[in-house]
Amino acid sequence: MKKPLRSLVLSPEDTVAVLLEKGSKGDIVTAGDQPIVLLEDIEFAHKVLIKDSAKNAPVIKYGVEIGYMLAETPKGSWIHGHNMGCDRGKKRREQLK
Amino acid sequence: MKIMGYRRADGRVGIRNHVAVIPSVFCANNVVERIARAVEGAVALRHPVGCSQVGYDLELTARTLSAMGTHPNVAAVLVVGLGCERFKPTELYESVKKSGKPVEMLVIQDEGGSSSTIAKGIEIARRFIQQEKNRSRVECDISELTVALKCGGTDATSGLAANPVVGAMSDRLVEHGGSSILSELNELIGTEDMLAGRAINKDVADKVYAAIYGIEDKLRSGCDERYAGRNELISPGNYDGGVSNIVEKALGGVYKGGKSPVTDVLEYAIPARPGQKGLFLMNYESHDGEVVTGMIGCGAQVVAFTSGRGTPAGFPLAPVIKLTGNSFMYNKMRENFDFSASDIIEGTATIEEQGQKLFEMVVEVANGKLTAAEKLESYELFCVARALGGHNNTLP
Repeated sequence: MKKPLRSLVLSPEDTVAVLLEKGSKGDIVTAGDQPIVLLEDIEFAHKVLIKDSAKNAPVIKYGVEIGYMLAETPKGSWIHGHNMGCDRGKKRREQLK
Repeated sequence: MKIMGYRRADGRVGIRNHVAVIPSVFCANNVVERIARAVEGAVALRHPVGCSQVGYDLELTARTLSAMGTHPNVAAVLVVGLGCERFKPTELYESVKKSGKPVEMLVIQDEGGSSSTIAKGIEIARRFIQQEKNRSRVECDISELTVALKCGGTDATSGLAANPVVGAMSDRLVEHGGSSILSELNELIGTEDMLAGRAINKDVADKVYAAIYGIEDKLRSGCDERYAGRNELISPGNYDGGVSNIVEKALGGVYKGGKSPVTDVLEYAIPARPGQKGLFLMNYESHDGEVVTGMIGCGAQVVAFTSGRGTPAGFPLAPVIKLTGNSFMYNKMRENFDFSASDIIEGTATIEEQGQKLFEMVVEVANGKLTAAEKLESYELFCVARALGGHNNTLP
């Protein structure tokens, strides 16, 4: 079996890990005690989901919600702007109305 | 815990003993630079402001130049004015004099031109250097130390390694009774709930919201639909580096402030009240030079500056510690860096371990160890903030 990729979970409650090296589909990261298989190629410093997440479930990094899932997504997926929403700007605009 | 510093007449503690030559207006820059160049140990504070300004913009200039003249890293000051400028050299002279520091003033129009002013200025600066030659450091408590926290030339490693290491250092300093200042509020949009939640009371929490929303609304008012692609807060480089949105980007930056409570929100170049200690925010944006100048104006004696891409910029009056989480850039620009946090990316050290090492380096630098930027005499970070037009950038 291939050696797990180096990765960083910044806070225990996080739902994503950050890859510290470039990963390919089928590579493994270890988050907590469970191995997670990458479902696609993921670049250095990008995020991989480490917890199966329902649509609208929060994405947690640094122990803080950074966005929400746009669709139900399995662990091992690459997380970025294509599948994670963020309403921070909209929230402020609505506050100002 | 103790550091070895310089105790000034007004009770503040410096960690450098500079003789500063400060122009009250940009017209005096050449005279100021020629004086400083001729006198070993004198530092010129070149700037582009001091005239044709009104209102808050002129106030920022006056406040910033006075804050430099009264800064505890400065032993003595020579003010050089032109004579007809909007920011009067006498105002700068009087504010430095009030702090109890040795100060002299030359006005080019009164002295009869550049050469005679330069000759007199050299004489005065030499005398100041002579007076300071034998001043030795004295024991001071580390609670007198304030570190400015800054990131610039950010890459993917900054938010993962270098910034959290700075945060761990900041938490150590605050535990020892010292202070740190976090700013660049435009980079902290999205972390206001967390920061307000760490405020020491409701008033400070309200100030955190007012400051971050104030900057956000100002930025939004500057957005222009005619120029597509010029209205984004995160750069294509950020996105390609794995940062998905402004909240995630802000979290990578906010950890420079560690996890300490927020003591207060400071205004640009106005120090905290005597006795106030801990983590502060300063209400300003993220131009490297302007924000560092403001934080030093707030009393920071040293800067911890993270940079994934590498920047040589330093400050004339204060040591700037450069650190990176990127081992490739650390080796490539070795002479410009003081500290590598790349062990975290390699997986061979923890953020806490590296934070403790950085804390020890801050103490060494406070005690006199020169930083890379000091050795290279890099002074680009001295930039006086401007506030043009209707943007007055103040708290309500």
